[in-house]
Amino acid sequence: MNNTIQLSPKDMINAYLLFFVVHSTQIGVGVHGFQRIVYQDAKHDAWISVLLAGLATHIVAFCMIKTLEVYGSNDLYGIQQDVYGKWIGNFLNSIYILYCFVAFFSVLRNYIEVIQAWIFPGISTWFLSITLLLIIIYAFTGGLRVMVGISFFSVILAIWVIPMLVFPLKFSTMDSLFPILEVNIISLLKGAHSMTFTIIGFEILNIIYPFIKDKKKTSKYTHLALLSTTFIYLSIMLVSIMYYTEGKLLKTVWATLTLFSFISFPFMERFEFVAVCFWMLIILPNLCLYLWAAYRGMIRLVKVSSTKFVWIFSTLAFFGTLMVQTRPQINTMNTYLGKAAFYIVFVYPVLLYLITMLKKKFTSQKEQNNEKI
Amino acid sequence: MKKYRFYFIILFLPSLLIGCVETNILDRVGLVTLVGYDVGKEERMATTSAVREVNPEFQSNVEVVTTENSTSKGNRVKTNRKLSKKVVVGQMRVVLFGEELAKDDIHRYIDAHLENPTVSNSLYMAVAEGEVAPLLEYEYQNIDDIGQHIFRLLEQNIEQENMISSTLHEVGRDLYSEGEDIFMPIIKREEELVELSGIAIFKNGKMVSSLRPEDTFYVKLIGGNYKSGTFETILTKEEIPDDLMKNKPDEIPIAFDALTSEKELKLINKNTPEFDLNITIKTRLTEIYPDVNIGDPKTVKKLEEAISKNLSREISRVIAYCQSVESDIFAFGDKYRSSVRNSKLTKEKWHELYKNMKVNVKVDLTILRSGVFE
Repeated sequence: MNNTIQLSPKDMINAYLLFFVVHSTQIGVGVHGFQRIVYQDAKHDAWISVLLAGLATHIVAFCMIKTLEVYGSNDLYGIQQDVYGKWIGNFLNSIYILYCFVAFFSVLRNYIEVIQAWIFPGISTWFLSITLLLIIIYAFTGGLRVMVGISFFSVILAIWVIPMLVFPLKFSTMDSLFPILEVNIISLLKGAHSMTFTIIGFEILNIIYPFIKDKKKTSKYTHLALLSTTFIYLSIMLVSIMYYTEGKLLKTVWATLTLFSFISFPFMERFEFVAVCFWMLIILPNLCLYLWAAYRGMIRLVKVSSTKFVWIFSTLAFFGTLMVQTRPQINTMNTYLGKAAFYIVFVYPVLLYLITMLKKKFTSQKEQNNEKI
Repeated sequence: MKKYRFYFIILFLPSLLIGCVETNILDRVGLVTLVGYDVGKEERMATTSAVREVNPEFQSNVEVVTTENSTSKGNRVKTNRKLSKKVVVGQMRVVLFGEELAKDDIHRYIDAHLENPTVSNSLYMAVAEGEVAPLLEYEYQNIDDIGQHIFRLLEQNIEQENMISSTLHEVGRDLYSEGEDIFMPIIKREEELVELSGIAIFKNGKMVSSLRPEDTFYVKLIGGNYKSGTFETILTKEEIPDDLMKNKPDEIPIAFDALTSEKELKLINKNTPEFDLNITIKTRLTEIYPDVNIGDPKTVKKLEEAISKNLSREISRVIAYCQSVESDIFAFGDKYRSSVRNSKLTKEKWHELYKNMKVNVKVDLTILRSGVFE
């Protein structure tokens, strides 16, 4: 274990900030329209699927933290190099970097699509893409502490959106939720599986772990963050099920935004326009931290300066946004990302945990044997 | 990297110029406040829109433009050809359907509005008696802006709970629901005024019949909760208790206000299907003629029973009528779906069941108080 990360305290962050980091990376573009995807399988029991998905995040996060604790101060890249050796480890690392890139790209493209569909149908993709990328580059060059700061403000400044869910309740009926558990368990699990794209983001824990000052408190704040995310998704899902009927929900692409479109204030006619614009603040931590996660992996593979990396990364993302133009393409991308993310974020950490445990047992036995000799 | 920074700034400067999006300046746009759809004479669809043109110097004027084309967007282009200002739909408040069109199918019109993100989900939908075009084109003496006028008319009545609410969201929701049909207010011109003249009831997006405006009260009672309604009914001779007063009149008209109601719907037999509908009403008696001694608790009790019976009968009548035209505007189907496991309800299946549905209506009315003068 010679590749641990040694940091000076001024580069580190307080453990409680982890709450904001995990929470803000989880909530992003998925929340706009996850309802109908989950609803397709789980029908009006979709909220149970959301709960199941939330439960799964807790289990996975538990495994992640246990794995990281074994290594003391290391991230996923270092652990993989240690567990699998240089070649396989680096291969897996590059897959993870690729995953970070695709996730980054997907958030970016989805958000641009929402802006184009809701507010500015005429605005070109490249313009929005460059504008967002410049902000992200700016934040990234500020360093991790700046990005964590963005996460903090993104959560604090977005809290007021949650009470807005009360307005649609006026048109809701509890009957839509009954009969509870009408679909079978397979459909519920399928629904939970469809939550993947929406609920991922907490895997940032794998990378940010060495940067936490008080590592003992990691699990407390992580689980708190996961819990609040699940709570938000659950409440949005419940309101959506009660507000829409089956047929209408399945036809609504961005159910959360349509939910908001009913809200109007004397000084603001259409609330969802504000919500769409405001969402930039919510996706900003997503983008920054995925970029940062990819960077952390890249420096393990090749020697590259952060400025050079961020420009190459952004250029690739920029050309990517030009390639993916239509809604079906974006949907296909989301589906594939969701599928891949399920294995990378949900299955793999559990596997890695078991392997690490085995290895630990094995090496400690070996060491004992060495001592005897 | 630092020395390139200058070039990067130069490189991104042009983006500031190209990034400007289309502007909508109030003086240069015509705000569509109301759109009416009719069956076209030459093309498939005729639209009549009330376009408000804001003028900074003079009073803003309202143009009513009728065009024909095969889609609503095509009609917008045609409307544009007739106006000096760009037509925008962000302020649209009301959508009207001609009666003939409503009887045909309004499915695609609702879809078209749900699809468009600039259209608010809270706009009202209504059916115009006859055709929409003459209703809008008539030169009313005291109505300047017909679009705004109809919107206020609907809004006011819906908020006062005198009319059922039919926003785009509600209509879209019910249209795609397995156990519910849509309903909208009916509007017609009455000399120099516009009037709400009833409720249009639909089956699968096609208007099948209408209810009288007086029946709104019963529809709302069955459908949900009243917060503060006003209502009048007439007790017939049979319903008046014998010992209520000495000289029993032929009928007693009664009016209430500050009415609050709660309903409880239960499926008791899923084969028939059979429902128990219990409605609890608390209200204030404001008018009764001839005088009944309200001070006497016994009399009040008898009166309450008589009114309850009267209301149950009227509610049953409205339900029976809607059953006869197979339009479930009360969402009994939703209740059925939520009470029966694995019902796999579809609209066709529910309409079959709905015809033979039985509802046991029970009304429990309490007169809390009368006015300040007994």
